[in-house]
Amino acid sequence: MSQQISVRIDNELYTATEGRTILQVAADNGRSIPTLCYLEGLSAPGSCRLCLVEVAGVGRLLPACTTPARSGMSVTTNSDALAHNRLMALELLFIERNHVCSVCVSNGHCELQSMAQRLGMTHVHLPYNFPRLPVDVSHPRFVLDHNRCILCSRCVRVCDEIEGAQVWDISARGINSMLVAELDRPWGEAQSCTSCGKCVQVCPTGALVEKGQAVEEMTKRNRIVTDLAVKRGART
Amino acid sequence: MRKPRLATMWLDGCSGCHMSLLDVDEGLLTIAAKAELVYSPLVDAREYPHDVDVAIVEGAVSSDEDLEKIRLVRERTRILVALGDCAITTNVTGLRNPLPLKSIFDRVYIDGSDVEKVHPTEGLPTLLKHAIPLHDVVKVDLHVPGCPPSAPLILHVLTELLDGRMPDLRGRRFG
Amino acid sequence: MPIRDDSAFDAVRHAGIAKLQPGRPRIAIGMGTCGTGNGAEGVFHAFDEAIGRRGLDVQLVQTGCFGFCAEEPLVNVWVPGEALVILHRVRPDQVGQILDGMTGRALPNGLILCKVEQWDHITARLDYGSGYTSVLPWDEVPFFKGQQKIVLRNCGLINPDDIEEYIAIGGYGSLRKVLRESTPEQVNEELKAARLRGRGGAGFSTGIKFEYLRKAKGDRKYLICNADEGDPGAYMNRNELESDPHSLLEGMAIGGYVTGARHGIIYVRAEYPLAVHRLNVAIAQAQEYGLLGDNILGCGFDFDIELVEGAGAFVCGEETALISSLEGRSGRSRPRPPYPAERGLFGHPTNINNVETWFNIPPIITRGPAWFRGIGSDASAGTKVFSLVGKVTNTGLVEMPLGTPLSRFVYDVGGGSMHGHAVKAVQTGGPSGGCIPHNMLDTPVDYEELGKLGSIMGSGGMVVMDEDNCMVDVARYFIEFTHAESCGRCTPCRVGLDKALRTLTRITKGQGREEDLAELDELGRMIRDTSLCGLGQSAPNSVLTALRHFRHEFEDHIRAKRCRAGVCGDLALAPCENSCPIHMNIPRFLQLYKENRLEDAFESVIMDNPLPASTGRVCQHPCESRCRRQTIDEPINMREVHRVIADHVLLSDRFDTMAANVVAKRKPATGKRIAVVGAGPAGLTASFYLALLGHDVVVHESHAEPGGMLRYALPGYRLPRNVLDREVEIIRRLGVQFVLNSRIGADISLADLESRFDAVFLSLGTWKETQVRLSGNDLAGVFGSLHFLEAEAHGRQTDLGDAAVIIGGGNSAIDCARTVIRKGLSATVIYRRERKDMPAIAEEADAAEEEGVKFIFLASPHRIVGEHGAVTAIEVTKTRLGAFDTSGRRRPIDTGEVQVVPCSAIILAVGESADGELAAASGLATKSSGMLDIDRYDLTTSRANVYAGGDYVAGASNVVTAMSYGKEAARSIDRHLTGEPRFETIFPAFTYDQAPPEPIPCARHHAHFLPPAVRAKSFEEAVSALRPDEAHAEASRCLRCDIRETVAHAVSRG
Repeated sequence: MSQQISVRIDNELYTATEGRTILQVAADNGRSIPTLCYLEGLSAPGSCRLCLVEVAGVGRLLPACTTPARSGMSVTTNSDALAHNRLMALELLFIERNHVCSVCVSNGHCELQSMAQRLGMTHVHLPYNFPRLPVDVSHPRFVLDHNRCILCSRCVRVCDEIEGAQVWDISARGINSMLVAELDRPWGEAQSCTSCGKCVQVCPTGALVEKGQAVEEMTKRNRIVTDLAVKRGART
Repeated sequence: MRKPRLATMWLDGCSGCHMSLLDVDEGLLTIAAKAELVYSPLVDAREYPHDVDVAIVEGAVSSDEDLEKIRLVRERTRILVALGDCAITTNVTGLRNPLPLKSIFDRVYIDGSDVEKVHPTEGLPTLLKHAIPLHDVVKVDLHVPGCPPSAPLILHVLTELLDGRMPDLRGRRFG
Repeated sequence: MPIRDDSAFDAVRHAGIAKLQPGRPRIAIGMGTCGTGNGAEGVFHAFDEAIGRRGLDVQLVQTGCFGFCAEEPLVNVWVPGEALVILHRVRPDQVGQILDGMTGRALPNGLILCKVEQWDHITARLDYGSGYTSVLPWDEVPFFKGQQKIVLRNCGLINPDDIEEYIAIGGYGSLRKVLRESTPEQVNEELKAARLRGRGGAGFSTGIKFEYLRKAKGDRKYLICNADEGDPGAYMNRNELESDPHSLLEGMAIGGYVTGARHGIIYVRAEYPLAVHRLNVAIAQAQEYGLLGDNILGCGFDFDIELVEGAGAFVCGEETALISSLEGRSGRSRPRPPYPAERGLFGHPTNINNVETWFNIPPIITRGPAWFRGIGSDASAGTKVFSLVGKVTNTGLVEMPLGTPLSRFVYDVGGGSMHGHAVKAVQTGGPSGGCIPHNMLDTPVDYEELGKLGSIMGSGGMVVMDEDNCMVDVARYFIEFTHAESCGRCTPCRVGLDKALRTLTRITKGQGREEDLAELDELGRMIRDTSLCGLGQSAPNSVLTALRHFRHEFEDHIRAKRCRAGVCGDLALAPCENSCPIHMNIPRFLQLYKENRLEDAFESVIMDNPLPASTGRVCQHPCESRCRRQTIDEPINMREVHRVIADHVLLSDRFDTMAANVVAKRKPATGKRIAVVGAGPAGLTASFYLALLGHDVVVHESHAEPGGMLRYALPGYRLPRNVLDREVEIIRRLGVQFVLNSRIGADISLADLESRFDAVFLSLGTWKETQVRLSGNDLAGVFGSLHFLEAEAHGRQTDLGDAAVIIGGGNSAIDCARTVIRKGLSATVIYRRERKDMPAIAEEADAAEEEGVKFIFLASPHRIVGEHGAVTAIEVTKTRLGAFDTSGRRRPIDTGEVQVVPCSAIILAVGESADGELAAASGLATKSSGMLDIDRYDLTTSRANVYAGGDYVAGASNVVTAMSYGKEAARSIDRHLTGEPRFETIFPAFTYDQAPPEPIPCARHHAHFLPPAVRAKSFEEAVSALRPDEAHAEASRCLRCDIRETVAHAVSRG
């Protein structure tokens, strides 16, 4: 039987089960901390840096998705400095690749877009990169559009941790990082792909989508994919 | 007291934002009552006038001519509004940005032409390497999102501005 | 045979001592990578061959590096009973000499670096013997002075491939001690008490880290040595591994005992093949001797070590990425918690430490924690090894107690900068670190102090930079590195560093925007605060420290489109042009002159420089210090060539035609009226260009003639007045009006000028002499240099008696001294520093000495002695050179020794400053120093339409610097008055007749000095111009650095 602890989040005192992360404790109590890479039911890579929070007595910012809540911890999830950093991280995601919402099948159902709305973004200050990126349409049912990918690695994790196929990985380094199927072959030729579509459902943007969808038509059901894992109490 | 002087400007965009402005319908009468329209693609004035109070600008900055225009607008305007996604993110006009200019010109004027297969050289403004958002070049006071922004939103923005208030559009939508 | 008991251990130790100090001579060659890179293998083979051929009974072995990499190959020569002698820069052809002189103390003198009579290996002491009395002990060689070798205790002395030599100097004794005498808890307490901190850069307490692992639950635990040293310019770990691998193994084995880990892994760069090889040899030997593996030393303790080669990713130096890499995954960082101590390699508790941390453990066990704590500073105990590289004379590995000031590294150990250039900054901590400016070099080097300046100690990289380094480019370089090495996992590091790189690259190309700086700062802080691992968190340090300490360099790139260091290729035509304050197109006039196009050459010269004949005589010529020709022989004599070009026209009957040619370039009248106050070099230059741009210019000058300091402070033997008159005449013909004998503040007011003119340019110069607080300075016979020179220029005699003493070391001091000599009197210059520190042009000082001027250096005035109200002598105190100050010069220190110099007059040439009256009266804003507060790019003052420049705002400098303000003022005033960038349009363009030619291989041509005896008696011009043939040949020496690319003509190869 896990121990119960009490944690203060934004000056509210909550009781939580030891071992839950700050993000989970907040969510359990109806407080949502912004995140894009985290998805309940999958492991947390701590990579998008949107969920960084301040913890009293700790000199640096901590990712809520990987930091376990500890007894007596006092967490601030929203300060001016945090809001500034979050907006900037989001701006960096927008400038990195080509997110042209008005022609995107996920327009209106995109987590990146709604995050921009949620964080009050009116425009992107930094100049855009406008890289030239390929679109992989080799799979019979799905499309991989690198222009929309934010490298959150949800697809990599769901394929590894739930489907067990390990089709996806991220190749290269730094700004040249790219999602690749198997050892960088067209998705349609990836022998390990079971075409289960889990990666498409968990993808937060229009990077992994079903074929045959028009602008604004692609909706996703990411919770269905991970729901069982959550129920089984799988790794978080 | 003189009425606020209003201008609208059309840079690299599809004119959809201006269409949406017209969609304001009877709201136009409200706007007309509050402001004097001194410059617009919809009126005759040839030169962008001095001393403009509010300018709403549609479209991205794509050519040297756009660049000159937007700088002039900024110089002569108190409140500059980026109207619609092309002006804010470059949106559709920015779809060409990842491609080299030459390949675009070749596609249109060489591959796509049956007769004279040449790049146009005269009478056309020079394209910039990238279409860029307004705020990359000038200070923008308000961003009005949408492709196009809805008529009610435009009406709201204009009414507020012409009444001397700065609307807060954060959290409405993006992209 | 595994060692299981004391007698076996002692037997091995004695065998080792017999190798280190055999009964015959021993020669050890430093064969680390640095040694072999400098030819040590050739030296080894030469010794091997010669010893064999001569049948000598000599032991020849390899050793590691003794640390002084700049002096490799190093060779240790030891003859029983004598001191160990270290030879440096040994070549294979010197081997014979060495063998000949080895016995009988006759080693070639030039090769001897130092001697070692006794060595403290910390774990043991070794006596070599005495002798070689005239040779410096190692720790008195400047490079080693103050170094304390704890980590490097064995490097360069023992054979790294021989475990017995390691055991001979106390090796594995610490391991044996802890296994026999202490519990793991006790050892852990000792390490905590020693306050050893992680040497990889983070500085976390090693003892506490060990405790975490010791207390962690799990039946399998790992110890890892992080030997993935990847910082550019840092190679401490490589040398340590190559020179002394067993110290690492012993440190790790002790770590295993303390923490309960049985598995050790060394993660070493694959790019260090020699280190990998030596480690493999060492591990195999340690296993063979029972010092690794099961039942170590018969004590029932099991520990083994495995070596893994890293595949070259910088980020794998980060502990979680390193673990990922060891697990066979791509090297990407992961969030902590969980920390490796809880869940590390393959999910097991793990401890990771840097090579150097492990090296420190055996000495702490031997000597105890109190000993270790006694070294270094309070918070940072012990020593740290740094790789000192960059623009210093001595490069190499330096081990110093923590807390040593940076200046000791740079000036004492490093021997100061190379080529006499000024040190600008020191970069510490590699790509994750930052740059510390020269005025902060007294900062103690430890974890906390460097952190306060925005830098880090990191793993110990230390790169010295001088004025040839552009700090924007340095920041760009490091961001390029970290951006390429970012693993790409987290957003700020992946996208943010890329964005920062794009911005920095734009700035170095001259396309920066002013808002870029705020954006870089904001982005840098965000990346630092939000990145996932140490790479991203520290990567912005290079930009943030550069912005903090070198912001003006960024502004130069953005606002003036200039890179003073001349590094950013897009911003400079050639090094000479870039270093010229008025940016003359030097390669162009040289080429035109070479093509015999004298008139074109003159046009090129005068349009760049309205006073070409004057500057051709008196310019400080900074161009020469950057001329690339000096890498072949000597710099081009550029100044003398433009003097020849200018003289040919100005002093000939071509003058009227060419002057008309210049006047014809005047743009149509704009109707704008501009007042220039002060007709010195700055005012004349501004007037010239403003008139060319079509403005009406009126110059107000307080003297009777235009020229300012050129006319009234420079003696006629340097600058004949007719030369200056001709230059002024061209400016008059351009329409510039001169109102002479008109002093602002007295005859005219600034308010009056402001009301009558569209713009006012203030270039009043520095006519106020610095007062010296000196007893007796009110005596008759004490003069200011400017007062004296001005009187001379007016032809008024100053009564100096028969012997004058001049105080100061600048050009004005030399001018006074040479003028005094010409009056038939004796002249003595007294300067408080050394000759090489004098600000005067070196040729001028040389000429003065030839003419009979006497110099007293390292002396400062103490008191002026007089009788009956007149000077009879000056008392000076001798100084000696003390520690380096932050300007890189040694600070003169009073010795108290007084010298009396009899004299009849004293001329004080200690500087001039601007008169503050005008500013005070007119309310112009000033800085705390009392100087006018201006924008240093557009020269605007606090009052609209009033501009200021020249010495008046910058302090006394030199002619060409003052002119550069005039040029900028013209650009800025015209831009503001017309609203258009018109300035660049007045400059002519030329095409060349010749294709870029090969530079000719002749020596530099010097201008012709009159014989000293003749010129010392005459006010005639002392230096005559180059002859045309000489000037032509001189121009042909130019390497044409302005040419960026040549189009190769397609050649048909049939």
